[in-house]
Amino acid sequence: MTTLLIFLPLAAALTLALVPVDRRGASGLALGAALGEVVVGAIALVRFHAGGGTQFITDTRWISDFGLGTDVRFNVGMDGLSLFMVGLTAVGMAAAVGAAIHAGRARPRAYLGLLLLLESALVLLFTAHDLVLFYVGWEVMMIPLYVLMAVWGGPGRRAATIQFVVYTLIGSLLMLVAIAAIGVRYHTFEVSQIHSGSTWLFLFFAAAFCIKAPLFPLHGWLPSAYRESTSEVTALLSGVVSKAGAYGLIRFCLGMFGGVAFDWRWLFLGLGLAGLLYGSIVAFRQADARGVVAYSSLGQMNLIVIGIFVFNANGLTGAIFQMVNHGVVSVAAFLLIGLVELRTGGDAFAQLGGLANRRPVLSTVFLIAALFTLAVPGSSVFVSEIYILIGAFQRNAWLGAAAALGIVLAAMYMLRWYSALAHEGDGPSVTDATPDLRIGELAIAVPLVAALVAMSVWPNGVMSRIGVAPERTQIHFGPSPPERDAQ
Amino acid sequence: MTTIPVNFTAISPEIILLSVASVLLAAGVFLPQRGAERLCPVLAAGGFVGAMVAAAAQFHDAPHWSFDHTLRLDSFGEGGRLLVFAAGLLAVGVSWGAGGGIAQRAVEYNALILAAAAGMSLICVANSFVTLFVALELFSIALYVMVAIDTDSITSLEGGLKYLIVGSVGAAFLLYGSALVYGATGQFEFDRIATAIRSSDPHGVVLLLGIALVIVGLGFKANAAPFHMWTPDAYQGAPTPVTAFMSAATKVVALVVALRVLVTAFPAEAGIWQTGLAAIAIASFVVGNLAALRQTDVKRMLAYSTVGHSGFLLTAVAAHSDLGTRALMYYLTVYGAMNIGAFAVVAIREREIGRPVQIADFAGWGYRRPLLGTALLVFLLSLAGFPPTGGFVGKLYIFSAAVHNGQTYLAVAGVVATMVALVYYLRIPFALFDRDAVVPEPRTGSGFPLATLTTGLAATAVLVLGVVPGPLIDLARSAGASLLG
Repeated sequence: MTTLLIFLPLAAALTLALVPVDRRGASGLALGAALGEVVVGAIALVRFHAGGGTQFITDTRWISDFGLGTDVRFNVGMDGLSLFMVGLTAVGMAAAVGAAIHAGRARPRAYLGLLLLLESALVLLFTAHDLVLFYVGWEVMMIPLYVLMAVWGGPGRRAATIQFVVYTLIGSLLMLVAIAAIGVRYHTFEVSQIHSGSTWLFLFFAAAFCIKAPLFPLHGWLPSAYRESTSEVTALLSGVVSKAGAYGLIRFCLGMFGGVAFDWRWLFLGLGLAGLLYGSIVAFRQADARGVVAYSSLGQMNLIVIGIFVFNANGLTGAIFQMVNHGVVSVAAFLLIGLVELRTGGDAFAQLGGLANRRPVLSTVFLIAALFTLAVPGSSVFVSEIYILIGAFQRNAWLGAAAALGIVLAAMYMLRWYSALAHEGDGPSVTDATPDLRIGELAIAVPLVAALVAMSVWPNGVMSRIGVAPERTQIHFGPSPPERDAQ
Repeated sequence: MTTIPVNFTAISPEIILLSVASVLLAAGVFLPQRGAERLCPVLAAGGFVGAMVAAAAQFHDAPHWSFDHTLRLDSFGEGGRLLVFAAGLLAVGVSWGAGGGIAQRAVEYNALILAAAAGMSLICVANSFVTLFVALELFSIALYVMVAIDTDSITSLEGGLKYLIVGSVGAAFLLYGSALVYGATGQFEFDRIATAIRSSDPHGVVLLLGIALVIVGLGFKANAAPFHMWTPDAYQGAPTPVTAFMSAATKVVALVVALRVLVTAFPAEAGIWQTGLAAIAIASFVVGNLAALRQTDVKRMLAYSTVGHSGFLLTAVAAHSDLGTRALMYYLTVYGAMNIGAFAVVAIREREIGRPVQIADFAGWGYRRPLLGTALLVFLLSLAGFPPTGGFVGKLYIFSAAVHNGQTYLAVAGVVATMVALVYYLRIPFALFDRDAVVPEPRTGSGFPLATLTTGLAATAVLVLGVVPGPLIDLARSAGASLLG
């Protein structure tokens, strides 16, 4: 099942690369593959046995005796954490493929093929249990992103891409050195068998994940990348790819280096808190729709990092649930911004406003996205943020109080975002002829909203399945062993 | 005085190559120009295939010495030979349809590439400083001429002259170092030197100076910084197929023989030369990558990139372990494929526009020739160490060897070097797939099918080595085991 999830989009991407189909054919094939992935993911969700640990395992040898008796294995499987990350990937990608087809991107075979390659790499990295295999997924994920940004991006795409490449590659290559070192030291790349007390290995891994997430102050690549990419790519960067960073922190930094991570928790909590407040405040000052959601994403990702590093079950469960929630919300927000950009040619607040007049469907969907982002009580985002906050309060009351402040700020910037788009007078780019959402466009937005509503109505459906994740990632709670403290 | 036993099997690849070269030179007198252009590459390719068969046949033989310890036949050396021949074969493919000196002097060019390969092949199995020096001069002189074969081009002549002068200085270092080592130990053969050192002072000044000079001499051939100054001019000036051949094959032999000398003859001094190699590696990382940043000529940029890559290859040698040897053999294979491939694409574009290729000349070309553009992207990603290319597995391998040897700082230096490298590597794909660029007009006439085929082969190799690295790792393992077995 996992293998099918990995190779279905890859096969579709290769087909698109090799078979010269026209735009219609390419669109049909890509959409079919993306929807097929959702169907397979849904089957996996239904057949997933809550509390059953890692499931749908495929484990074969890929490279025998890499050196010093270390095998590299094609070892993939899904526990609760992987399952929902894969589900998020499938849903987000289906929406993004739909939006890309709707937007009529140039060179559709290449564009859609790269999106599907990205999906394949994402699923691989979310399900790999071998460090080298994970790294392959991690880096292959980057290649289509670089190309998508560099070729289809906005006017500043070149500088944005170089920034993005340099930032992410610093982290990736440090992680590669750490992976090599783990192979040499522990003679295995199997994640569950590695328990290390090495500080520098931990920091090398953490660097890669914190850049991707991004943890404050490693977010230098984020503003230009989110602004210059096409709206689908930005949606995936913010919704799904950033989650790969948080996923890595949970699976690898906590899983393999539990004691060291615990010792370093205040660094991450401090930076996470700073990033949450910084992102939220800067979001309030942005002059365009993308900027608000971009900095809001920064703040939300840092909130997730706080949830991870409070080192208790509430915080971690909340963080994982929030990863899913925020993923869907930000994919929806950026795709909606993309739909507005198609109508008005830009997303600067100075040009927009008054979308709510005569465009009830569009503004309703926008409002729903905004309400979810600001965690209105009753929403799934509210549930996950409350869990993170409880976890933070359990760690330290001041931390909890400060994190709560970040959530208040979210309400402020999201309401400003919505009112700048939908209320106030008609902006210069908005005319009476600016159309409302069409049926086809609703087909992109409604499934995302439906997923959010479903998780809001039945949060336990998610929580019970990810509830097993903390044990299965073998996180060591509590203080590190005494001999480390003595040093 | 004992008679030296003769073993023709041991040197059969060299015999095949030099025989074909002789036939070419003799027949060339009678061939018309048009016929020479067609026939000579075919014969040369045949020579390379024959030599490959001869080397492959001996690959799994038990390691043994030959010609009274002047040659050492083992899988490691045969692996190096196979890489050289593969590079030669691909270079002949890239040369097909090239104009200029390569076409005008088809006979000489193909004879020279065979002779160069024969010298390189001999170095791979050399076990004595005398054999090493003779073989080194054989291939170096052939290469000096090949670089300057475009006698109409001033840059080609300049590159050849610089290569000749600097290369001779490097050879002099090597010769002087060999003499000092001989003075300290009374032996030329690597294994006997080690035996002699064991019964005397392993840290004598003369001996250490000799080792240092040998490393410097080989450093010139491996174009490691700070002995790289000939590289940009020679690589830029040489006809591109020659550059492709040099970049891959010279590097293979320099690294293979460096590893063999140091590991076989000087294990007692390992601590010293490991540190020395680490210093050279770091210098190569710094100089090669920073200098490449400023280049606009694609060949010159790739030339500096090969200097930077010396750092990775030397890291594998400096590891002084079985893991390091395997890593070296693996990475050299990938390295050869990706460099020949990249230069082959440059050669194709160069023939289309009829002048040296600047990065700007690739603007929009990826939309005109999508397969070649994608292949170039694959080579650059592999050079930067991205999965799923062979360059990734090679880098992981080399990092493992460095960490295993306690030289984690070399791995970190390699990481920093790669980041800098990406900044200039990426300029090419940016240009290739720049959607604002005017897509170049299609060229009528020859499509350079063989050069394109060579590129395709190299790209396939780079990808296959990344996705299915197992078989090559097995070969590298037996090569590593045979070195001291």
